[in-house]
Amino acid sequence: MTSPFSLEGKTIIVTGASSGIGRQCAISCSHMGAKVMCIGRNEQRLQDTLAHLAGDGHAAYSYDLSQTHGIAGLVADIVAAHGKLDGLLCAAGIERTAPIKLLTVQDYAEIMQVNTFSAFELARHATAMKHFNRGGAVVLIASITATIARTGTAAYSASKGALISAARVMAAELAKRQIRVNCISPGTILTPLMQNALAQMSDEDRARRVAGFPLGLGEPADVANAAVYLLSEASRWVTGQNLIVDGGFTIQ
Amino acid sequence: MEIKEFIEKFAEAIEVEDASALTAQTAFHDLEEWSSLSVMLLIAFFDEEFEKEVAEKQIREAVTIQDLYNLVTA
Repeated sequence: MTSPFSLEGKTIIVTGASSGIGRQCAISCSHMGAKVMCIGRNEQRLQDTLAHLAGDGHAAYSYDLSQTHGIAGLVADIVAAHGKLDGLLCAAGIERTAPIKLLTVQDYAEIMQVNTFSAFELARHATAMKHFNRGGAVVLIASITATIARTGTAAYSASKGALISAARVMAAELAKRQIRVNCISPGTILTPLMQNALAQMSDEDRARRVAGFPLGLGEPADVANAAVYLLSEASRWVTGQNLIVDGGFTIQ
Repeated sequence: MEIKEFIEKFAEAIEVEDASALTAQTAFHDLEEWSSLSVMLLIAFFDEEFEKEVAEKQIREAVTIQDLYNLVTA
């Protein structure tokens, strides 16, 4: 029996593929049989991700997603070269920790541009009928900070919360073409960026952060496995949801 | 634009996957893909493709795809 979690024969765009969660999602999708179109800013690191993918037919597109005006062309290029898509996974994101007193409209706008508007623009063009197969899936990486308060993350939290709200509407609009749209909200994941951030915290702050997670901190693979589920037939009756993957942080 | 091409573009505009099932006589309000949002998609399509401003009311009153075609080519 074929696994319902198989991504065999599917072509999937993964953004943020040059590092962290996006990179692991690209790798995990390739291991499940997908042809992965990796998008990231850093060409060198994208090539490194590409070298870690299983199977062949993958491609890398170096692109700065804050440039939302070029996303239509980027999607058209990918489809022209590799055929229609079956999946879109948006993991590209930036963070800027600051108390609300210091967050300007400019800060909110810059964070939303990358975390939110690029994902909306990608979803818009990728799911166009000429680009996306019936039965395909969209997965947006949100965050538990969209539903809980972590001080200093107002802009980041707002940018992720917007993904969760819009995903429900996209799911309702695209259901007629059997296209599903879901979010994943990870807790603290040990990506290289997070490891840096943790290293800069005081011992006390770090201990407090880690203590909040009954199952300990997460690995990029914990998020990638959830993404594989939401991109595969295994989740064919699941849409508009926000899957929380946080080692139990938010149940307490 | 010929009616055949119009039907194809209409299908693309409101996201009907199987355009081959459509004819000029198709009552588009009855299509499975038709929703309240389709009116907005059509208005945008008419504006881009024909540079015609068509009112919601005109689309509501039209019955067949031929009626829509007449609206923008008349």
